[in-house]
Amino acid sequence: MKRMLLGASRAVAATVLMAGLATADQANSEAPAVLALGKPAPLADTRMKNVDGKELSIAQARGAKGTLVVFTCNHCPWAKAWHSRIVTLGNASLKRGIGVIAINANDPAAYGEDAYPAMQSNAKKSKMAFPYVVDATSDVARAFGASRTPEAFLFDREGQLAYHGAIDDNAQQPDQVKVRYLEDAVNALVDGKAVALQETKALGCSIKFRSPKT
Amino acid sequence: MGRPYGVALAIALLAGCARRAEGPPFEAATVDRVLAAVREPGARAVLVNVWATWCPPCRAEFPDLVRLERDLRGDGLRMVLVSADFDQTLPQARAFLARHGVDFRSYHKAGDDMVFINTLDSLWTGALPATFLFDGAGRRVRFWEGQQSYETLSRAVRDVLQKSRGTDSTEVRS
Repeated sequence: MKRMLLGASRAVAATVLMAGLATADQANSEAPAVLALGKPAPLADTRMKNVDGKELSIAQARGAKGTLVVFTCNHCPWAKAWHSRIVTLGNASLKRGIGVIAINANDPAAYGEDAYPAMQSNAKKSKMAFPYVVDATSDVARAFGASRTPEAFLFDREGQLAYHGAIDDNAQQPDQVKVRYLEDAVNALVDGKAVALQETKALGCSIKFRSPKT
Repeated sequence: MGRPYGVALAIALLAGCARRAEGPPFEAATVDRVLAAVREPGARAVLVNVWATWCPPCRAEFPDLVRLERDLRGDGLRMVLVSADFDQTLPQARAFLARHGVDFRSYHKAGDDMVFINTLDSLWTGALPATFLFDGAGRRVRFWEGQQSYETLSRAVRDVLQKSRGTDSTEVRS
């Protein structure tokens, strides 16, 4: 299983800096560790309200060749920058046997722009052909260990996580993208091949989790 | 003779005002530049904070970061602020810095995201805000993802400053 690659010079710099005691002090104590490669989608049967008013689960969105879950939202500039690329790839993936579902786990009290009517408007305007659902308790995002928007989780035909991370390597300048991480991963699954680059990262807005139920 | 002198003086004063209005440097920085700022001699502790104008928790903690820098600057704290704003919102970022009285050099992120994230901390998911504490030798000692309080950051920085007082301040960095 191949892992995320770092340039050698960057690895050296990182090693120098990480030589001392380093404590990752995760402030978001609500979020568990991120879903590991090879694991199935958690809470896959949780029904979530779609922009068409019906309820839908990740399991119901599953595709014959794989399933793409994207945590996204309406307000985040990073999600906005990647939105048309997510929609284009998502719509194309549906036609190639990959199930697709976009999930908004943000608390709309934090951002009015993330409220349900705005989701409906966004989905219609951008011609999303796949579901855009509300994670009404943020529990699905928590179970995935999702932390930011947008964040993609791509499962293979066996339902195992095959890719996790960013859409591509350039949020701001679509015409200067060098590596289309998610598209490459989808292509691999459609072709029945292993995903070469399985984990990537990008800057993004932290997910605004709803308070956990006690 | 007096009048040309007065005009020259007025021009000089206006030029000075213009320079002050521009504010301190706000430069594009890859992670290498950020690390160079961390390693510049003269600091006993360095706090790197990655923020953006569109990030409410970043904005919420910002006054505490500025206050912390002012409180501990004299004790050897260097604050390295790195905006992750897109190019089109850099003017807002610059205005935000000025509004909060940031009177020292700060940066806006350039270069590859993944390299930036993983070089600062491989455990960082990339979500904002993120804060990284380094000691005077450039070693990263703490990392926080998400909004932090003045008390949390102050305690950690003071701990690093306290420990640095036990080392030779003239130690040559390798």
